[in-house]
Amino acid sequence: MELDVRGEICPYPMMRTVNALEKLPPSEALEVLTDHPPALTTIPWEASKRGYAVDVEKVRSGEWKLTLRKAQGPLDPLAVMQEISQKVDMGG
Amino acid sequence: MSVSTVATHIEPFGVRVVPAALGLAILMVSARWAPVLGFWWAMGLGMGFAIQRARLCFAASFRDLFVNGRGELMRAVLLGLIVATTAFAALMARMVPDPSTGELVPKIHVWPLGANVLVGGLLFGLGMVLAGGCVSGTLWRIGEGYVGSLVALGGILLGLEAAAFSWNWWWENSMSTAPRIWLPHTLGYMGAWISVLAALAMLYLLTYWWEARRAGPEIPVPGRPQPPLVTFQDRLRALWNRLFVQAWPASAAAVALALLNVTAFAFDHPLGVTGELSAWSSRTFGLLGLYPNHLEGLDQFSGCNLVDAPPGLLTNTFMLDVGLVFGAFAASVMASEFKIRLPRRPVRYLQSAVGGTVMGYGAGIALGCTIGAFFSAIPSLGLNGWLFGLGLLGGAFVGSRIIRRLA
Repeated sequence: MELDVRGEICPYPMMRTVNALEKLPPSEALEVLTDHPPALTTIPWEASKRGYAVDVEKVRSGEWKLTLRKAQGPLDPLAVMQEISQKVDMGG
Repeated sequence: MSVSTVATHIEPFGVRVVPAALGLAILMVSARWAPVLGFWWAMGLGMGFAIQRARLCFAASFRDLFVNGRGELMRAVLLGLIVATTAFAALMARMVPDPSTGELVPKIHVWPLGANVLVGGLLFGLGMVLAGGCVSGTLWRIGEGYVGSLVALGGILLGLEAAAFSWNWWWENSMSTAPRIWLPHTLGYMGAWISVLAALAMLYLLTYWWEARRAGPEIPVPGRPQPPLVTFQDRLRALWNRLFVQAWPASAAAVALALLNVTAFAFDHPLGVTGELSAWSSRTFGLLGLYPNHLEGLDQFSGCNLVDAPPGLLTNTFMLDVGLVFGAFAASVMASEFKIRLPRRPVRYLQSAVGGTVMGYGAGIALGCTIGAFFSAIPSLGLNGWLFGLGLLGGAFVGSRIIRRLA
């Protein structure tokens, strides 16, 4: 499932992601496209609280794609956040 | 995802530093020909830069408490206030050694404690949450390319004009009769400083309590993993990335903002961005032939109040406000985060316009925004900053109820 929240600012990228997660079939991944930098912290935070692992990729200047997948087994939130912060760094 | 694939997505280094270089060039030129303008330009650049790097959003610091129960940004703001309050108290004690006489330190943001401050704070808090940013937040987001923030700025100017038209009513019914309560007057500097610090520290702890009740489990964000540093060049690159590419912690920007505020106060007056926007508003609506009556009591204030007749274009406050936009622009380009961002839902434009107008009106009657009437007012040791903050909290509560319905 895809969710394009480009053009949206806080708190909507996070809110709409949470709403989409509630409708997401368990086997599917949610791809969120955002151009709001603060969403790179708000979305992973809410997602990992709900048991979703998050991957982030920089699409272009000022645009990112976050991929949210239901974690297999219990999620290690520390490892998730570590991975995200590393990738966000690399993409600026 | 390797570093090289990422690098293809961002502009070359030479392009990314152009706005920052231009900002510094303007600073150099003004330092030579008009050093005071240059000083305020530097203050603006610093504000825009620090706030953009950390996305230190005052609107979010209040709103998040109600939207998802998080207090991280509010704690950053409170930390900034602790730093600024301490330095302000020391500076004021030097300027007016005996505060018991009733003489106020010139140019501090201690204003009448009237209903206008509370009502203005409520409207401001509501407006900033609807618009997705406060007045300074609107300015730095414009620098990052947010078109919705331009709409909000239009709303702010409209709201300020409306405030100018109702100014005399507020002056007569609230400002002219309300007392200015300056804590050092009764408590002395030391007593006032300790009281304010204790209150700020209490609120700091209160946000943790709130978070534990409202936000659910807190997931610790670990320190950023660093690549191995071998050469001098590696170390420089790591420093560069920490400063200009990675996001700063909000607390770092809040402390930076506090230090800029202290510097500005030591130089002349505390930071505030609304007074200049009021000049823009008055100029814009003046073109349409809209002039409010003479505004009463303006000589009683300094800083963020509305202006009667706009002064020349190139003023200190102009340099500060435009510098703020430019600093955020330079920071976002340097981090490869700049983008022209168009809201896709029509309702967002309406939110920005209405939120901006309500916020502008609130700033007009409360004599300032989250910077001037709050972030500069609490360290000035007046009670008006606290009343405005209470209004912001109430307005943000109502605002967060409304925006939830517009998701």
